[in-house]
Amino acid sequence: MNGARVLALTSRIIRQIVRDRRTLALVFLVPLLVMCVLYVVLTGSSGSVPTLALVRPTGVGSDALNVLIDRLLPPASRLKTVTITADEVEDVLNKSEADAALVFPADLAAQLARGEHPRLQLVLEGSDPAVATAMRESVTALVRQLDVALAQAQSRASQGAGQTVPITTQTTSLLTLAEPRYLHGGPDYTSNDALAPVFIGVFSFFFVFLLTSVAFLRERSQGTIERVLASPLSRAELVMGYVCGFTLFALVQAIVVLLFVVFVLRVHYQGNLGLVFLVAILLTVSGVNLGIFLSTFAQNEFQIIQFIPLVFGLQVLLSGIFWPVEQLPAWLQPVAYLLPLTYANEALRAVMLKGSDFGQIAPQLAALLVFMVLMIGLSALTVRRQVA
Amino acid sequence: MADDKRVGAPSLAGSAKEPLVICDGLVKVFGRLRVLDGLDLAIGVGETFGLVGPNGSGKTTLMRILAGLVRPTAGSVRVLGRRLPDPRVAASLGYMTQLSALYLDLTARENLRFFCSIYGLRGQERERRIAEILARVDLSADADRVVATFSGGMRQRLSLACALVHRPRLALLDEPTVGVDPELRRSFWDYFAQLNREGTTIIVSTHHLDEAARCSRLGLLRFGRLLACGTPHELLAGAGTSDMEAAFLYYAARGRQEEVTA
Repeated sequence: MNGARVLALTSRIIRQIVRDRRTLALVFLVPLLVMCVLYVVLTGSSGSVPTLALVRPTGVGSDALNVLIDRLLPPASRLKTVTITADEVEDVLNKSEADAALVFPADLAAQLARGEHPRLQLVLEGSDPAVATAMRESVTALVRQLDVALAQAQSRASQGAGQTVPITTQTTSLLTLAEPRYLHGGPDYTSNDALAPVFIGVFSFFFVFLLTSVAFLRERSQGTIERVLASPLSRAELVMGYVCGFTLFALVQAIVVLLFVVFVLRVHYQGNLGLVFLVAILLTVSGVNLGIFLSTFAQNEFQIIQFIPLVFGLQVLLSGIFWPVEQLPAWLQPVAYLLPLTYANEALRAVMLKGSDFGQIAPQLAALLVFMVLMIGLSALTVRRQVA
Repeated sequence: MADDKRVGAPSLAGSAKEPLVICDGLVKVFGRLRVLDGLDLAIGVGETFGLVGPNGSGKTTLMRILAGLVRPTAGSVRVLGRRLPDPRVAASLGYMTQLSALYLDLTARENLRFFCSIYGLRGQERERRIAEILARVDLSADADRVVATFSGGMRQRLSLACALVHRPRLALLDEPTVGVDPELRRSFWDYFAQLNREGTTIIVSTHHLDEAARCSRLGLLRFGRLLACGTPHELLAGAGTSDMEAAFLYYAARGRQEEVTA
């Protein structure tokens, strides 16, 4: 591998793209436009029934309270519930077995009897902001109803004892619902927070794939590939030059998308930007090589366009961008796990929403690496095939 | 990669005694088409060797085999003393393809810079050679224009410049004068003669028979076979004519007869 020759090819590619102002503008502006539209369109209503985990009161006199709680819960068609213990909360939420947990003090009955104001704690999983908001609302409503019911019960009891107690109705005087705790994300996360990370991946993969396949097709149709292959430039250097040139653009694009998302759309993120770029690089290199590979099956630009639904449409539908992979029909799920964007989406969401570190996304990075090596192999094979 | 033997590196063989190009029983089959059919050829150092033949006679395929772009189905090729495929040969070759094969969205100078760089030329040396060859093909004034705005003749000149800017020992020129006006054709051939004097061996394909007379030797190619090979004078004498076209037709007819008798 001769660095100077690779650099010559890389700088030529950069120069060609920079010269094509219209393409350049589209590469950077289209993602922003698409995200703006999504930002407006998405209201983030999730179709599935959320699950609330209950840590129930267990002390003396809790049975009556639990009966009351069950009576007040919304029907299972709107909210599923499971009962867990206090130390299971984080585990259950992290495994996505529930979307939120409502923690009652174990000695709720005793606290009430002593006239105290028991504190209830809501813990939200939080990575899907739409679900988190819905959960927050239904739990708040539930606690209010419970509060009213308890107040009425207490006033009946005191009237029965011949005492006069002012009837508390509207105000939450008996129970206190503490400020919800978010496992991931936060109260001002919106649906865009969950989508934005994914788009960094989608755009770096897709545009680079498109640019490379057309660039390589042109190299063949205008005959320059013959000249390049007859020169001392090796096949490996050729692929490497293309990878470097286009990766640079993909990274600039990722930076633009990221800045736009964070500063203009004010989407929230946490976690290491280095990891975000690592994912973007792995995807880009895959995209360049897939572009080289598929371009050899196209005779003209029109045919390249036909590859878009195959490469792009399939991945957008199946890689978990709009609905989780787990919601796909069982037979489609393995297909989703053959697509690089599935892993990229998981990794990007984990890093940007949950602040995951390198170790936590290592499996996804490994899958992307495998895919990248596979694509490099395919493109090297096709470049070799240019020589009959 | 240890293929960094530069242009004209002395370690490459190809002494005055050994021919620069040796083809031995070359066969190339594309599908059912036999493009080259047992071609034997030797081209010496310092020649201007003309490949003459009708379309589809195998000229371009032979060029591409010599450039290392195509592997022969059978037979062997030695170029610059090395049996192909050998990446070390590439640095000493200049290949001008039939299509003008340029990056249309780049300027003439940027095209030349790219080809210089992949042949390992850099810095001032590179710029000096580019200026020199631009003057040679009369494109100095248009050096910084984008190639897409060039006329056919200008593209052809730039294409030639790109093939020669790294000063190859062997120049493979595939129909360099197609679509070129007579005046420019003449200046191309003057340039080839000059390169030849400077020590570049040239293999040039053409179907302009008047150009053939300017070659040191000619190979007449038809159906992937060498009908005849020799100096223009020898070929004319052998055919008993003073007209290159008549000579070509004579050898073509003789080739057909041999086929019939065989």
